[in-house]
Amino acid sequence: MITTQIARIIADFILFLDLTDDEILDPDAAVEMMEWLGGRLDALDKGFLRQLVDAFPVIAEEYSGQAQELVRDIAYSFYLEEKLAEDDPVRLAELEAIRDAKA
Amino acid sequence: MTHISGRKRQSAFSHWLRTGRLPSAQTSDGVELKFNPWHDPADGRFTFAGSGRYYGAGQIERDSSAPTILNRDNPQQRRIATGPKAGTLRTQQPARSAEKPDGRRATGAQLKPIAFRPGSQANPAAEFIGGVGEGIYGAVEEAVVAAHSALTANPVTTVRNASRGIASMIDTAIAAEDTPARIQVSRVAETVANASPRDIGRATGSVVGNAALAATPGAALGKLSALRRLRAKTPRITSDPPQIGWVKENLGPDKPWTQYNDAATGAKPGQAPTLMRTMPDGSKRPVKFDGVQGEYVIDRKWRVMDRPRARAQLLRQSEVLAQHRLIGTWEVPDEAERIAALKLFRKMKVANIKVRVVKP
Repeated sequence: MITTQIARIIADFILFLDLTDDEILDPDAAVEMMEWLGGRLDALDKGFLRQLVDAFPVIAEEYSGQAQELVRDIAYSFYLEEKLAEDDPVRLAELEAIRDAKA
Repeated sequence: MTHISGRKRQSAFSHWLRTGRLPSAQTSDGVELKFNPWHDPADGRFTFAGSGRYYGAGQIERDSSAPTILNRDNPQQRRIATGPKAGTLRTQQPARSAEKPDGRRATGAQLKPIAFRPGSQANPAAEFIGGVGEGIYGAVEEAVVAAHSALTANPVTTVRNASRGIASMIDTAIAAEDTPARIQVSRVAETVANASPRDIGRATGSVVGNAALAATPGAALGKLSALRRLRAKTPRITSDPPQIGWVKENLGPDKPWTQYNDAATGAKPGQAPTLMRTMPDGSKRPVKFDGVQGEYVIDRKWRVMDRPRARAQLLRQSEVLAQHRLIGTWEVPDEAERIAALKLFRKMKVANIKVRVVKP
């Protein structure tokens, strides 16, 4: 339950950084802030990060249009699955193959 | 070329039969060309027809196995023979000309008969055909036409294929950049007009070059002068330092990722280096980086992301680097980030940013 609430906070923050107009929010500053957020997510406990990664597709249904797609894409675009599988070479190879197939 | 020469030779003969006058050979610009195949090999001066040596390509030369030189034992006679210049080539009028009822006979009668070579039974008409037809049309005019077409079509090929004499004469003709083109052209034309057949035979390439310049002075000189300037140009080597600006930056709390960005080479505390990006509408906007090393600008990435805004930033950086003719460098903390960066570069088709691992 609490994981979902935190996932919403993170998703709203990422959407603000992604979708705010360049005239209002400096785009380089926005990217820098997302890098900071990525560092924060990497530092989370692996178990909690797993729950967060699973929560993003669930809460994505609460959004619409481009926002929905962006929220569903958080784990992929922040390489969170790779972070969770950093000690599993087989899983890493699988994730890499999936990423290459999408490219 | 042979076909043209034969046709023009016949035309010259026909012209002479009809008018009793020598045909006037002219270039496309109206410059009159004259040719005398007879001259003295001892001093190179022109002689009258039948005296001295025949250097044309006509029948007379083919008929004689050795050059025919007259009056070599009599210097006085030779001096008399070489007195007149070749500008007025005259020959004995055939009897057929005198039968013309249109008054041209009077013109022909003014021409003084000139003795032919001893022992030569050549028909004066054949002499005329061989000397004038072959000489004027074959040797000079065709050279003019050929050089004209070649130079106007492709001066580079012409210069490459011609003898070194062409390049030398062209360089001489246009050496003085401050000399007006018309003066240069007139000099070249004068040179061609006064050139002797020996000169033509000695340096065909030079004659071709001169004749072509006389025929189409403007086009030839213009093209060759441009070619000359092009050859003199050397690539400009620019080593201007990057036009780096600096803007204030607040990296937030003092965490490993903020310290990592602050540690970039050339970074200033609390400031970020920027390059000005020129937008399509002409306005300028800064693009931030984290450091500068020589002509490389550095952007440190604690985390590589494949988000829309991150991709847009990558394209902005690539564009501004291209505008400033610079190479960018991403510095990432580990190999996993480096691989992610490389994939992102490939996905976005960015080639002017490199990536390397710099441990925190």
